[in-house]
Amino acid sequence: MTQDSHVTTGSLLRERLDVQVRRLKGFWSFYRGSRIGMLGLFIIIGFIIVAIVAPLITPYDPRALVGTPFQPPMGEHPLGTDQVGRDIYSQLIWGSRVSLMVGLLASAFGVAIGTVIGLVSGYFRGPPDSILMRITDLFITLPGLPMMLILAALLGRSMWNIIFVIAITGWTGTAKMVRSQTLSIKERPYVEAARSVGARDRHIIMRHILPNVFPLVFANAIVGIVDAILAESGLSFLGLGDPTKPSWGQLLRYANEAGALATGRWWFIIPPGLCIMLVAIGFAFSSYSLDQILNPRLRKRRW
Amino acid sequence: MGLKEYIGRRTLQGITTILLAIILNFILFRIMPGDPTRVLIGDPRVETGTRLALIEKFGLERPLLEQFILYISNLFSGELGVSFAQMGRPVIEIILGRKMVNTLVLMGSSMSIAFLLGILLGVIAAWKRGTKADISFIIFSLATYSMPVFWFGMILLLVFSVYFNVFPIAGTITPGVTHPNFLAYASDYLHHLMAPMLTLAVSFFGGYFLFMRDTILDVFTEDYMLTARAKGPMVSLMGVHVTFLISGATMTETVFSWDGLGRLIYDSVRTADYPVLQGIFLIMSILVVVASILADITNAFLDPRIKEAVD
Repeated sequence: MTQDSHVTTGSLLRERLDVQVRRLKGFWSFYRGSRIGMLGLFIIIGFIIVAIVAPLITPYDPRALVGTPFQPPMGEHPLGTDQVGRDIYSQLIWGSRVSLMVGLLASAFGVAIGTVIGLVSGYFRGPPDSILMRITDLFITLPGLPMMLILAALLGRSMWNIIFVIAITGWTGTAKMVRSQTLSIKERPYVEAARSVGARDRHIIMRHILPNVFPLVFANAIVGIVDAILAESGLSFLGLGDPTKPSWGQLLRYANEAGALATGRWWFIIPPGLCIMLVAIGFAFSSYSLDQILNPRLRKRRW
Repeated sequence: MGLKEYIGRRTLQGITTILLAIILNFILFRIMPGDPTRVLIGDPRVETGTRLALIEKFGLERPLLEQFILYISNLFSGELGVSFAQMGRPVIEIILGRKMVNTLVLMGSSMSIAFLLGILLGVIAAWKRGTKADISFIIFSLATYSMPVFWFGMILLLVFSVYFNVFPIAGTITPGVTHPNFLAYASDYLHHLMAPMLTLAVSFFGGYFLFMRDTILDVFTEDYMLTARAKGPMVSLMGVHVTFLISGATMTETVFSWDGLGRLIYDSVRTADYPVLQGIFLIMSILVVVASILADITNAFLDPRIKEAVD
């Protein structure tokens, strides 16, 4: 008897896993067909590899004063040195770490906040919904960058504060989207059925609603990464980044402070911005393709 | 629900949001770490007389609730405090003046360009969907979206101001020049406006383009009448985008030293000029709420079905 029920549970689990694997395979075959999406994925993987092997491919400690200031690109310093003699190339390579880390974590936190608020709001309706939606409206209204600047200035300059500031200002889109999805999924027959046999709210949310909103939440998270990477670079450029970690935005700040513009030192200005743009493009391309695949409205048409 | 009722309801929501923004604004500057209140009282840049008057006016040594009530009543009489960095100049005078005009000119012009180009190319791309032209437009707009605004501004400066010397490098007018007439002044101003306007317009083009293309394709597949429906979402998008515009303007104004509110935000953060920050923050929140209400109402007016969809 126990043996039997064990087998059943086991096979049920296996079946569920199979469904997930089949779903994932179906998704991948769609995604592989998108050239823009694959290009984006390759760019992302490229930057992740660079970030991981940063210590192996940089000749210097990015924070150490290793040469005379303001050297143009030359043998020992492929991108020259900054105003205090740090190696620009080493700072550039290490910058990928901050960019990816802040991008991924800030977006993940923001999407998590938005998903919880959207689920609660859409599932329970009533007063919690009204309150949560007014709060959401408030956060939509707050001017994004000024808000981030003020918060970052008040909290102090560290990478975790930057992540917090970006997440706390960037969850509203997800909340609105998850809420409207929840509202529509809640009315579907199988959810009604689950409720009529006495399934609890928690069970319904975790089993029926969350899995259905997850694909769109995921797509949202990818767009969120683009926004978070750009926000981090902007905050660092304005001097609110973590002073202990080299980042691309900070490099551009140094360039600006050192008057690299007026003196035409392009090697100080072009590479960091290009890196920000490339890594953001990687995620933007992926998100565009995800949107084409996950959005059933769009899937029907080829482009 | 009638149009009037919808407007009423939307306005009420807007007022609630503004009130919440005021409360948040108050809390943000008094409860956060770094203790801005102490900064407010102890800032050495403010003269003793002015400081005592401020402490009195904002009740800074009284309980928080009293401070809040005073803050609100001061707010309604247009009293936003005085700047630390600018020798005690009233905040309201700094914000509502030349800087605001400069920002509105920059935002308005770049938004119009991005909007028109977005619509135009969006329609063309949707029309020729799947062709090379369409795909290049998509890639271009994703690329501009992924570009840090301030960096694009720096590149423009590097190329057009440093290498070719066709755009001025900073400011809103040439310093030290007295303009003989208004026309000369205007042309100098426009000359300075070009590069920041282009920067901001390019950074906003992508969003408008992708949205327009998608909307039109929807209309195609659903066999709807084209323009009437497409107009609505664009207007509402513009309302929401005011917040993004403010972010973009802050970066752009900083890079080009454009004498507007965005640059003022940056300067105030750098000099810890909290009263000015608080003031800008409030005025911008109100601006965004008003813009989004106007957009929603226009929207409801253009497409009666929208107000039914809002619950």
